[in-house]
Amino acid sequence: MKNKTTDYLIIGNSAAGLSAAASIRKNDKDGTISIVSSEEYTNYSKPLITYYLAGKVELEKIYFKNESFYKDNNLRLILSSKVVFLDEKKMVAELSDGCQISFKKLLISSGGKPMTPKIRVVEDQNKKEYVNYSGIGGVFTLTTLEDAIKLKKYINKNNIKSAIILGGGLIGLKSAEAMLELGSQITIIELSDRILAASFDKNASEIIENKIKENGGNIFTNTTVDEIIVTKGKITGVTLKNGKKLDTGLLVIAVGVKPNVEFIQNQSIKLSNGIVVDDFLKTSVNNIYAAGDVVVSHDRLSNEQKNIAIWPLAIRQGSIAGMNMSGEKVRYQGGFFMNSVEILGIPSISVGLNNLDDKAIEGVKIFSQFNPEKYIYRKVTIKNDKVVGIILVGGIERAGIYSGLISNEIDISGVSANIAREDFGIIQLPADYRKHLVVGEGIEV
Amino acid sequence: MKKIYIKEEFCIGCRLCEIYCQVKHSKSKKIIKAFKKEQPDIISRVLVEEIGYNSFAIQCRHCADAPCVEACISGAMLKNDKTGVVTCSEDKCVGCWSCIMVCPYGVIKRDYSAGKVASKCDLCVDEDIPVCVRNCPNEALKFFDTGEK
Repeated sequence: MKNKTTDYLIIGNSAAGLSAAASIRKNDKDGTISIVSSEEYTNYSKPLITYYLAGKVELEKIYFKNESFYKDNNLRLILSSKVVFLDEKKMVAELSDGCQISFKKLLISSGGKPMTPKIRVVEDQNKKEYVNYSGIGGVFTLTTLEDAIKLKKYINKNNIKSAIILGGGLIGLKSAEAMLELGSQITIIELSDRILAASFDKNASEIIENKIKENGGNIFTNTTVDEIIVTKGKITGVTLKNGKKLDTGLLVIAVGVKPNVEFIQNQSIKLSNGIVVDDFLKTSVNNIYAAGDVVVSHDRLSNEQKNIAIWPLAIRQGSIAGMNMSGEKVRYQGGFFMNSVEILGIPSISVGLNNLDDKAIEGVKIFSQFNPEKYIYRKVTIKNDKVVGIILVGGIERAGIYSGLISNEIDISGVSANIAREDFGIIQLPADYRKHLVVGEGIEV
Repeated sequence: MKKIYIKEEFCIGCRLCEIYCQVKHSKSKKIIKAFKKEQPDIISRVLVEEIGYNSFAIQCRHCADAPCVEACISGAMLKNDKTGVVTCSEDKCVGCWSCIMVCPYGVIKRDYSAGKVASKCDLCVDEDIPVCVRNCPNEALKFFDTGEK
C-alpha cells in the first residue's frame, strides 16, 4: 500500500474536474494537483460517446483537452482508480487499489452514474427468475466511453439489427439516433406520455416522435420493460408492463443519471439528490468543494437548488470552484437548464422553463409558431415580461440571443410581439440592451 | 487585443462587409468565381441586421469570457491565450450547435458545406485588418485595441 500526499485532489477527470484543474493552476503555480479517475482514458467528452457509437467521431478525436494539457498544467493523473472511501475529517481518500491520498483541498466532480431500474429476468431454458441483469449479453447502459466501446463491439459481433431503448430522455434519444444511423430498427419505451418530456413541451415532442416513426422507429409511451427474456446468457426479448412481447437482441437502459456519491459514507458532507454546495461551490465541509453533474446548485429560473447536469455548467462550476480553492472568492451566479440535440437531421434547442403554460401560472405569456408538417416549431415562454424559456425545433439560428435575454433578465415587454419570429434579431431588442451588445459598455468609438 | 467595434450610426446597410467576408472565406478568393460557382456554400461570418434606416453589422465579439468556448463539448471552440481570437477547429467540431445555443449575439452559423461544422468570424488572422473593416465604405466598423481581453 502506497500512500501519497497532494495539495489539491480532484475526483473526476471530465468537464468540471479539468476546468477546475486549469483554474487552480492559474492561481497556484507550485501546488501539487492530483486527478483521480475510475476510468482508463486520459480524457474524453462524455456527450460524444453516442457520436462515437454512430461512427461520427473516431476514438482518436474524442478527447476535449489534448494530451499536453496535463503536462502544461503539471497535473498528476491517476487512472483506473476508484475512490472507495472518503475520510473528510482526516482529509484522506482511499482508492480501490488500497492507496491512500491525503489532501489539503478536495474537489468532488465525480459526475453521474446511470440509474438501473429493477427488472425481472426470465431465463427460458432453466425457468429461472432473478433481478440482476448486469451480466446478460445485449443489456447495456450508455454513460461512459467503455460502455460505448463494448456496445459497439457487441453490435458488430452479433450483427444486431434491432434495438430497444428504455427511456425517451436525452441519452435515450441520442442512443436511438446512433442506432438508426447504424441501420438498426429501434423501439423506444418511455414511462411518461411522451418522449423528451423533461426538456420539451407536447408540440416539440410530437415533431420528434413523428420523425422517428417516419424513419421506421417505434415508440411506446406510458409503459416500461417488465421482463427481460434471456436465452443462453443473451437477451432475446422483453415483455412490457402492458403485456406486449417484443423480440430484440439489444436493450439499452437509458432511464436517467444520478449523482455519483457512493464513496461519501459519512454524514458530514450534506447530500440532497446530489452534493449540496453554497454560493461558492463549497460543500458543508471546509476545504471540500464540488462541481458538475454531482451537485445540486442554484437554478436561477425556479430559484430552487437543482441537479442540472449539463456540460456548460460543469465547465463553469469547475472553473469557479477551482478559483475558490486556490485563494479567490468568486460567487457562482447559478445557472439554468439548456440542451441542443439533433435527431434524424432535425436540430433542436431548448432552454429554461418550457411547460409553464400547462400549469396556468399568472404572468405567463407564450408566443409560438407550430408547423409540424415542416418539422418546425418556435416557442418563447415569457413570465413577468422576461423570457424564461425557449424551444426551437427545425430552425435554431441565433438561439443564443434568447439565452442571453434569459440570463440577463431583460424586460422585453416592448418587443414581445416579434419575439418568436424566425427573423428575430438583435436589432429588435430593447434599445439599452441592444446598445450594450452592439457598441459594448464604456467604449467610445 | 485588437477587436472589431461597431459604429451603428454610420452603417448604411450596404452589406459589402458580408460580400467581402464571403469572398475571403471562399475557395477561389475571387469575387466573380466565388459568387458564380461556390454559392450558396460560402457563409458570411458577419451579419447585417436592418430595420428601416437602422442597420449595423455584427460578428463574433471574441468575448473575454466566451460562452461558446464553455459550452463546446468537443474541444473545437477555443480562445487563443496569446491572441485572444476565438476560433472553431473544423477538424474537431461535431456540429452539436451548443455554441449557437449560448452565443448572445447570435453570430455563429451552421455550415454544411464541408461536413457539419460551426462557422464564425476568425478575425481574418492572416490579414492586418479584417476584410469587413477594410472594405466598409463608411467606417461603420473599426478595428483597434481598447485593452479588452
